[in-house]
Amino acid sequence: MGVKKRRTKLPGFGLTLGLSITYMSLLIFIPLSALILYAAHLSFTDFWELIINERVLAAFKISFLSTFWAAAFNFIFGLIIAWILSRYSFFGKKIIDALIDLPFAIPTAVAGIALSYIFSPNGILGSFLQKFGIEIAYSKGGILIALIFIGLPFVVRTAQPVIAELDKELEEAAASLGANFYQIFFKVIFPSIFPALLTGFALAFARGLGEYGSIIFISSNMPYESEIVPLLIVKKLLQFDYRGASAIGVTMLVCAFILLFFINILQGYAKRRRKN
Amino acid sequence: MSIEITQVGKKFGDFTALENINLTIPDGEITALLGPSGSGKTTLLRIIAGLETPDTGTISLFGEDSTWKQTKDRKVGFVFQHYALFKHMSVFENVAFGLRIRPRRLRPDKAEIRRKVFSLLSLVQLESMANRLPGELSGGQKQRVALARALAIEPKVLLLDEPFGALDAKVRQELRRWLRFLHDEIHITSVFVTHDQEEALEVSDNIVILNKGKIEQIGAPEDVYDHPANPFVYGFLGNVNLFHARLDKGVLNLNHAEGGAEVSFFVRPQDVVISLSNENGKGVEAKITGHRILGSRVRVNLKTIAGEKEIEADIDKKQWALIEKENRETIYILFFGAKIYSKDETWSDYAI
Amino acid sequence: MNTPAIIKEPRWIKPALIGAALIFLAVFIFIPLVTIFSQALGSGFRAYSRAFSEPDIFASIRLTLLTALICVPVNTVFGVILAWVITKFNFRGKRILITLIEVPFAISPVIAGLLFIFLFGSFGWFGSWLMAHNIKIVFAAPGIVIATAFVTFPFVARELIPLMEELGKDDEEAALTLGANGLQTFFKITLPNIKWGLLYGVVLTNARAMGEFGAVAVVSGVIRGLTTTMPLYIEILYNEYQFNTAFAVASLLTLLALVTLIVKTVVEHFIAEQRKQKLV
Repeated sequence: MGVKKRRTKLPGFGLTLGLSITYMSLLIFIPLSALILYAAHLSFTDFWELIINERVLAAFKISFLSTFWAAAFNFIFGLIIAWILSRYSFFGKKIIDALIDLPFAIPTAVAGIALSYIFSPNGILGSFLQKFGIEIAYSKGGILIALIFIGLPFVVRTAQPVIAELDKELEEAAASLGANFYQIFFKVIFPSIFPALLTGFALAFARGLGEYGSIIFISSNMPYESEIVPLLIVKKLLQFDYRGASAIGVTMLVCAFILLFFINILQGYAKRRRKN
Repeated sequence: MSIEITQVGKKFGDFTALENINLTIPDGEITALLGPSGSGKTTLLRIIAGLETPDTGTISLFGEDSTWKQTKDRKVGFVFQHYALFKHMSVFENVAFGLRIRPRRLRPDKAEIRRKVFSLLSLVQLESMANRLPGELSGGQKQRVALARALAIEPKVLLLDEPFGALDAKVRQELRRWLRFLHDEIHITSVFVTHDQEEALEVSDNIVILNKGKIEQIGAPEDVYDHPANPFVYGFLGNVNLFHARLDKGVLNLNHAEGGAEVSFFVRPQDVVISLSNENGKGVEAKITGHRILGSRVRVNLKTIAGEKEIEADIDKKQWALIEKENRETIYILFFGAKIYSKDETWSDYAI
Repeated sequence: MNTPAIIKEPRWIKPALIGAALIFLAVFIFIPLVTIFSQALGSGFRAYSRAFSEPDIFASIRLTLLTALICVPVNTVFGVILAWVITKFNFRGKRILITLIEVPFAISPVIAGLLFIFLFGSFGWFGSWLMAHNIKIVFAAPGIVIATAFVTFPFVARELIPLMEELGKDDEEAALTLGANGLQTFFKITLPNIKWGLLYGVVLTNARAMGEFGAVAVVSGVIRGLTTTMPLYIEILYNEYQFNTAFAVASLLTLLALVTLIVKTVVEHFIAEQRKQKLV
């Protein structure tokens, strides 16, 4: 016979693959190409000038810096929360565990108005902080608050299973060799959960960089001061500056893809380590 | 003949799982596909079932070319290593599944399905478990449900993939005997995959030994055990002593330096006989270097004086008592039913 | 899980860590939750219910439900198909497909909206054709639906792929040897096995479909009563200082989020049970 045919054992391969590719092309691939090809009409110098514009650069700086600090904040508090959820038992743990995903499930606009209301000078936390001369709402600090909220679940949810699965024998071995709690934590535990924490950090960072809904309510949205990149794109669109919007959009897209690539590598690495 | 496999080949990427397999599986008997892991035995079974398609060659089932026939139309009963029982269905529903999903005109009525399922459950001695969920059964019970489920569709052939692999030793023993007994009742053509030579020898009427995607030997259990076709089969079907020596005019010469053709020498530990005297002058002089008592048998480690070959003998405990009492410096060993494999790939019997 | 006796954790660590976590969670989770509901009911229950009888708000609820009603079933069906093709078969380009699933999740919602402006907008690829045929997609309800479909696309597949990978193919193959066809195998064997994961995927898709803001804000053009979804209407109300009404609408979406979290907790419980059963 010798006919080489690629047949698969379970039914429906051709149909399901065909449908998947068609749907994803229509919904994802073609729209992505539309934006990229529009931006490709720009000459390189045009593109460059649209990007190195002072206001655009300021927005990128604000976006990157505040996202970084928010993710760093989540790195620490995410670790603490993941730690208490997987190691200790205390009253209300189940509810807290469930509520960690609230930022993921709640609409960003709802989060935005709630946080902005609380941190406004009349709000419950805003009025308290004002006594110390701290202003959060309608400032750069507001951006940070919104981003911490949005990024919270990522670090917790990547670190939690790793902490729960930590091999107790490693800690016991270290203790039997005379290590104290701090030595065990920093030399045995922390190195084994670090890849997961870093993945969570990267996920929170990627999510935060694109965040729009929750931030615009709590930030003052001032150019050069508290204007994030997604907001700048929206403003460009409202001014019918499609060239500018497409240039910034493509740059953001590239950033997102680099982060996605980086996260894929990190996750692969963390997975391999967990398997060993 | 029921299943004809002609020139079947299968690759997974760069890995050759099967190469030019020609095999006829006889009607009404149990055939074992025996081989180490990676030998292609499971792939061959899955190709027969249609769960995998061959790159080359044809499969014919009962005189009909079925190479491209879909699994669901092949009428093969398949028993999976990890049972693959549907967890959300009761034992009854699992066994009834193959009947209930038939198109309306081929489907037996409810009472008939019920009758049939219960007769199968009584065959596998699980009538009382009909309403249990698979999660509530032991491993051996699950495997029997899987068997009843496969038989429910009245398959023309029963395929079993390492059916006892996931069970513990004692249950495995019981289930093996039971399967043989069951087959003697219903005489369905069966093919089962195993890596355990004892299992193949005990359960099957025919053994097909596979290695690295090729068939090494086909035959009845006694046949392959007593007349292994080549060193691989010999080594795979039990413990074996292997060493290199020279054959000088029909006499084994353990010293490498001297003349004669170089050969590989195979002998099973139970075919090594320890003798205190060298009556016929053919014994090989050796020293006892150690021993280990394994219940009623004793494993003795020996070293030949000439050539310093290490040999293991498996002897009776009573005989060991005699040898131990004498406490000789040197003893003589004789070989019954040894095999010699020479450089020109001929394979011959040897006995002293 | 108890800490072994030989590892003496300093006594202050547990209360300190729990204290720090609770303060953090109070600021970011508890106080916002309480604020939403207390502000929504701030002017009494009657005012709360009156808010929803306002025609524009009612229209926004209707548009939100319509969007979810289209996006959730479509993305559920395609999510299941995609998970099937990825977990049951091996083919070239599978890794690329898996990465593409993540795209809507990885890019900013604003960019997601932007994509469809450049596709369907007046100067976009199909812009002039759409105008010639008098079809409005961007700045109209169809644009909102499409952008929402884009943003909510990954959720079902993301939930199902790891679950189906873990379950393997044995059950499906067993069904085939028993004579089941493809659809019977899927509906009688695969679906009962994945139902809990699927349920959570659907609930998440729904939560996101009803709550999406960024992408929808870009494509909607915000025409009151016509292209405002609930989240967009919340923005309008908030900017007009109608805080109580804004929080009233927000409270509905918050309830939806809380239901989502409850479903998640229940589903995780059932999947853990399933896993335990498999080990027995």
